[in-house]
Amino acid sequence: MNMKITYRKVNLITTFVLMVGILAACGSDNTKEDSQSTGNKENKSVTLRLFSNQPDRKSGQGLAEQMVVDNYMKENPNVKIEVEAVGDEPFRNKQKAYMASNEPIDITMVHSGADLNTLIQAKFVTELNPKDYEGQNYNFFDGAFKSFTFDGKLYGLPRNSDYEIIYYNKKLFSDNGVKVPTTFNELIDAAKTFRSKDITPMSTNGKELWTFGLLFQDFAQRVNGDPNAILDAVDQKKSFTEDDSFLQTAKLMKQFMDVKMFQDAYMTADYGSSQNLFTQGKAAMWYMGSWEAGMASNEKLSADFRNNLGVMRVPLVEDGKGKATDLLAWNGGGYALTTSSIHPEEAKKFFDYMMRADQWAKAAWDTGAAVPAQKYQLTGKESEVQKQLTDILNNGTSMPGASFIDFGTPGFKDDVQNALGKFFAGTATSEQLIADFQAAAAKQKK
Amino acid sequence: MQKVLSNKLAIFLFVFPGILLFALTFLAPIVLSFYYSFTDTLGPGTKLTMIGFENYKQLLLHDSRFWRSLLNAVLLGLGFIILQHPVCILFAILLDRLGGKAEKIFRTIFFIPCVISVVVISRMWLNLMDPSFGMVNKLLDIVGLSSWKHAWLGDTSTALISLLFILIWSGFGWGLLFYYSGIKGIPEDLYEAAHLDGASGIKLHWKITVPLLSPVIAVQVTLAMITALKQMETVFLTTNGGPGDATQFLGVYLYNKAFSASQYGYANAIAILFIIVCLVATYLSNRFIPSENA
Repeated sequence: MNMKITYRKVNLITTFVLMVGILAACGSDNTKEDSQSTGNKENKSVTLRLFSNQPDRKSGQGLAEQMVVDNYMKENPNVKIEVEAVGDEPFRNKQKAYMASNEPIDITMVHSGADLNTLIQAKFVTELNPKDYEGQNYNFFDGAFKSFTFDGKLYGLPRNSDYEIIYYNKKLFSDNGVKVPTTFNELIDAAKTFRSKDITPMSTNGKELWTFGLLFQDFAQRVNGDPNAILDAVDQKKSFTEDDSFLQTAKLMKQFMDVKMFQDAYMTADYGSSQNLFTQGKAAMWYMGSWEAGMASNEKLSADFRNNLGVMRVPLVEDGKGKATDLLAWNGGGYALTTSSIHPEEAKKFFDYMMRADQWAKAAWDTGAAVPAQKYQLTGKESEVQKQLTDILNNGTSMPGASFIDFGTPGFKDDVQNALGKFFAGTATSEQLIADFQAAAAKQKK
Repeated sequence: MQKVLSNKLAIFLFVFPGILLFALTFLAPIVLSFYYSFTDTLGPGTKLTMIGFENYKQLLLHDSRFWRSLLNAVLLGLGFIILQHPVCILFAILLDRLGGKAEKIFRTIFFIPCVISVVVISRMWLNLMDPSFGMVNKLLDIVGLSSWKHAWLGDTSTALISLLFILIWSGFGWGLLFYYSGIKGIPEDLYEAAHLDGASGIKLHWKITVPLLSPVIAVQVTLAMITALKQMETVFLTTNGGPGDATQFLGVYLYNKAFSASQYGYANAIAILFIIVCLVATYLSNRFIPSENA
């Protein structure tokens, strides 16, 4: 009897120990193994993780980023930098997941404004000392930190001067006898001519909606001549519905739809497909930012396209108060250090190196990937597109310094984008669009 | 061994890991979600303020996008039940009657969409339905119906119906497979007896096949409703709920509210209502659809 009880007990205990063992094995922490430090103190090898929204490492900004990473690894053989890069939309969502799980990445690309604000509130990004980034080594343009500063504290550094222009295909314009538009009405006429010849006038990424926000802001600035008017409306210092210039702008946008300015399926087109339409010569224009300057030197694109790539300013509105040189410019993308970093000191060293004017800014300009947010040296080898972009930036007037959809909370951005979605899908009127903007701004101020 | 199994402690020890796993992976997230739904948090780790039923009030009384998503899900569910399933039953019967090599070949063909990745299906249909280079519009051109050409997924008037078509098409193989195996389980002598009694053709299947398939139909209707409510991937990859909110579905809406709009508390309130809606739908379909053998 006694034997039997003992046997049973042993059986139970063994089973229990086994289960605990299995559960413990399931829960073992292996995250730290990924970026472990080994070796002695003087020359310990360190693996840093950089999270980027530039998956193409062979051209454009991805190439510039990779060049800086490679430079640093060459100068610091004990440091290995692992780059995790995904396209921009998945990047934004994955970043939120990383924020929620406190993933130990060391340096991350950040979108200034609403997105960065969320990261700050989650205490996922580290505060920076602006004094560290003054002087000749960095050479940032005045005001470049505006969208990265919250409550007087700096949380990231901008990588580019972002501004909206219209890329256009010179050949399509000349072959069809269309004048490069400098005014709104000329743009509408150009669209009509292209449509009559079965060519898409302008390609856009309507599925993602933010381009519509920029387009609206760009033309609002041209109607009312005040780059801060729309930002004041977001802040509710004025009302969207009471300032007539916003309704006028919405009516201009309506004209775009009436003349079929955009490709037929623009509401389902994402960034890549809208760009393809333009680079394959099927659309005459592409309304996009200066960060696409790299198209001119991207050898994956046809030589025919590259040779015919032109840049124009966003056309003036005839009876508006804006000037031709007004520019919708801001600093959108940048980098930040994370609080979840396992090697914060090493990460900062690399971060400081990367943001130097002779690293990111130089690489971005030399490869033609983007227009930096820092003073850059002209090399004399610039493409025509780069020269035009420099000219547009240097002569730019009335720059708002922020994109209005990113000027409020992420909830505001979602509401505004939803309103734009309904409007550009043709299910809301101009009046409704402005009323929706006002409701979204009022809601976030509550 | 029998003695070990009759010991309550032993039973507990054997069952415990399973219950723990269930609690951690199913109950804990729901409880957490429930908790977050009463807050206005922007995301895990951010400032958290309890706001009571504010999110639910906003959702139920003032959020037309939520109701639109729910309506679209119900429409998709009805599309599955009214359009997809009768066709599935019909094809299952035809397939069963076909026999031989042809039966195997067609069975494989019909099942192909189910083994293709959702990403590929979405991309493929986006291309097929593209207004400028898509094959759908090209075919319309060829058969002389040029006036029907359309930006199928890009126009609010046709986006939902086009998306429903894609979803019904891609889920067809699964429905067919269930009904087909149900039909294979019906004894052949029942048909022979019915033949002797003079039943044939449609009447034969209406009186024999369909009633005997009723347990399968009951399960399928429930599954169809749940699948429709849970629909996310194809919508996300094709229209992302647009244009406007024409193809907004609960899953996509919830995801965008949580991750794009950083309204995490609000998104969790949607998630809780989502669970309730799924449970009610399951209850109703179980309650009102007879699943007993006739």
